[in-house]
Amino acid sequence: MTNRDSGQRFVTPALLLLALVTVYPVLSVLYLSLHRKLLIFDISRFVGLENYLFLVRDDRFWNALGNTAYFTLFSVVLELVLGLSIAMLLHREFRFKGFVRAVVLIPWAIPTVVSAKMWEWMYNTDFGILNYLLGAEVNWLGSPLWALNAAVFMDVWKTTPFVAILLMAGLQVIPRELSQAARIDGAGSWDVFRKVTLPLLKPVILVVLIFRTLDAFRVFDSVYVLTGGGPANTTETLSIYAYKVLFQTLQFGYGSTLSVVVFLCVGMISVVYIKLLSKGTK
Amino acid sequence: MARGAIGTGVFLLLLPLLILGCAQGEKQDTGASERVRLVFKHGRIAGDPRLFHQLLRDFEQQNPGITVVDETLPSSTDEQHQFYIINLEGSSADFDVLSMDVIWIPEFARAGWLRDISHLMPLQERGKFFPGPMQAVTYRDRVYAIPWYTDAGVLFYRKDILKKHGFSPPKTWQELVATARAVIDKEPGLYGFIWQGKQYEGLICNVLEYFWSNGGEVLKNELPVINSPENIEALRFMRDLLVTYSITPPLVTTAIEEPTRHIFGNGRALFMRNWPYAWNIFEQEGSPVRGRVGVAPLPSFPGKTSASTLGGWQLGVNRYSRNPEAAEKLILFLTSPTVQKTLARTIGYKPTRTSLYRDQDLVREQPFITGLHDIFMQARPRPVSPYYMMITQVMQPEFSAALAGIKTPEEALNAAQKQIEHILGVER
Repeated sequence: MTNRDSGQRFVTPALLLLALVTVYPVLSVLYLSLHRKLLIFDISRFVGLENYLFLVRDDRFWNALGNTAYFTLFSVVLELVLGLSIAMLLHREFRFKGFVRAVVLIPWAIPTVVSAKMWEWMYNTDFGILNYLLGAEVNWLGSPLWALNAAVFMDVWKTTPFVAILLMAGLQVIPRELSQAARIDGAGSWDVFRKVTLPLLKPVILVVLIFRTLDAFRVFDSVYVLTGGGPANTTETLSIYAYKVLFQTLQFGYGSTLSVVVFLCVGMISVVYIKLLSKGTK
Repeated sequence: MARGAIGTGVFLLLLPLLILGCAQGEKQDTGASERVRLVFKHGRIAGDPRLFHQLLRDFEQQNPGITVVDETLPSSTDEQHQFYIINLEGSSADFDVLSMDVIWIPEFARAGWLRDISHLMPLQERGKFFPGPMQAVTYRDRVYAIPWYTDAGVLFYRKDILKKHGFSPPKTWQELVATARAVIDKEPGLYGFIWQGKQYEGLICNVLEYFWSNGGEVLKNELPVINSPENIEALRFMRDLLVTYSITPPLVTTAIEEPTRHIFGNGRALFMRNWPYAWNIFEQEGSPVRGRVGVAPLPSFPGKTSASTLGGWQLGVNRYSRNPEAAEKLILFLTSPTVQKTLARTIGYKPTRTSLYRDQDLVREQPFITGLHDIFMQARPRPVSPYYMMITQVMQPEFSAALAGIKTPEEALNAAQKQIEHILGVER
């Protein structure tokens, strides 16, 4: 028995387990997506691609896809810019550094559902602190103009600390000598940031982007608690739509079709990022 | 290393046995008790919970050998529905009696989750209840639940302000607009007309009242007719309440019952569409509007008849219950005239039995109950279909989009029509 053989045998249970918990569910969702299936009334018919054809014509699906893309783009970009700024600030030496760092992490530490409920109150038209501070009477969660932006804002508040901490870890790995050398060569702060720090930070930034993009694309809990998808579905994301079809009305066929599409989107995003990442490290 | 793998393998093999062993242990525990233990699931009961628990204790006293445990579900109706469909689809016997919203019965009956209790409700008995709730608990001529308490949309108005400006309660929607416009021009800070416009089930209740009072329908002979000219006109009128006539403030598009009740209860609105429960709160001591509130049937479009959406809750027996006879006793008790009367007097639940609206105690204590009788007689159930819960998921965002001005009423209703056709297409 060679080492190679025993190695393969050792990974077999892990592979079997993986097959059981990922491959089987994925295949079963694919299979379900080809059916018109209503569990509660014992209706189940094979309909081929009919669900996918309905999906192409389903305004609600395109609306959800648009909302998800908007949410992902704006939340990830804002989180990256803000997170990077905070990471740069915290990377300097100053008094109470440890304390400030801990404070910054608080939003990330609060469970999502709790912070969503908190924000729901802060956004409240009549009693919310936001309108009180602004002296305004904006219906943040009720107006189709604001609701999705309000959800993005909440996500930025919550997740920027996570981005900042990851980037800070990345910054700490960059040797100080490099920026010192650049300064001696006459580079200003902006040049040091653009030509030294940023390129060296690129792999970490890409990892952060992968995490955040995939999380944002599958966003469910924060938005579901904040608005439930309303008003007029202007905050309904793909995951919320799939959840409503799957678990509020138990339409397993069409719900699976939606899940397959989310799966494909997430897969494509991952492939793009992994390509970028492997290019970046070469 | 190999030994570790064997150990893991043995553990995995034994795991099912371990789990089975635990499950069996549990079963023996419940089998050991001799008393019949009924579990009653319901949403939040209004008022002081002790009043309701006292009723359950009374039942236990009248039926020695039965213990009742009541378990409260989350107050959101959608979450209650989800709890039931997931547990009943899994053939759960963890609860025996369940309280159901008026819109769930055809779905639950069709799925085979409810015990057929037609034998408890002979024809003569059925005649003692309001026709709307009775229609809602009947599916394919069999009875699956007993109406517990009922509800219907009504128009609340400020008697004192209308009188001051020389108006009477409106009979048509157009009169309501004209009255509200005239009054709020003279009373700054007062909202004209508030109702429930958030994207949720209550929005459907509101919108259907406009559809019906304009002669429209959602389903006809089990086929969707939601994009009819009557419905488009009615939905456009609702949008106009917000933008053209400006008698309804934008906050209504995120409001559910309680926020509107608070605003009206603080004297900040002239008209409000709500459920009758609000009246008891308005008449409590210390209420700013005490003695100044009137209740009327909802207005209609000219030449059409007024319509209220039927609400309320019904009691049924879980088909998988291990003690169906005891469960039947409990629902008969809770829907009996005595208990309905007690619930009406203590927590304001409106009886489903018509005779109680002539009850001397009730009429003396809550005089407006006689007016409610006629409104409940004409209250209409939402489309009675096993697919209602899917249909409402389609209607809610479309109605919401029309009110928000994202879609025209015509676009919204055409989109709803298309999606409902797809849902009902499953039966082909």
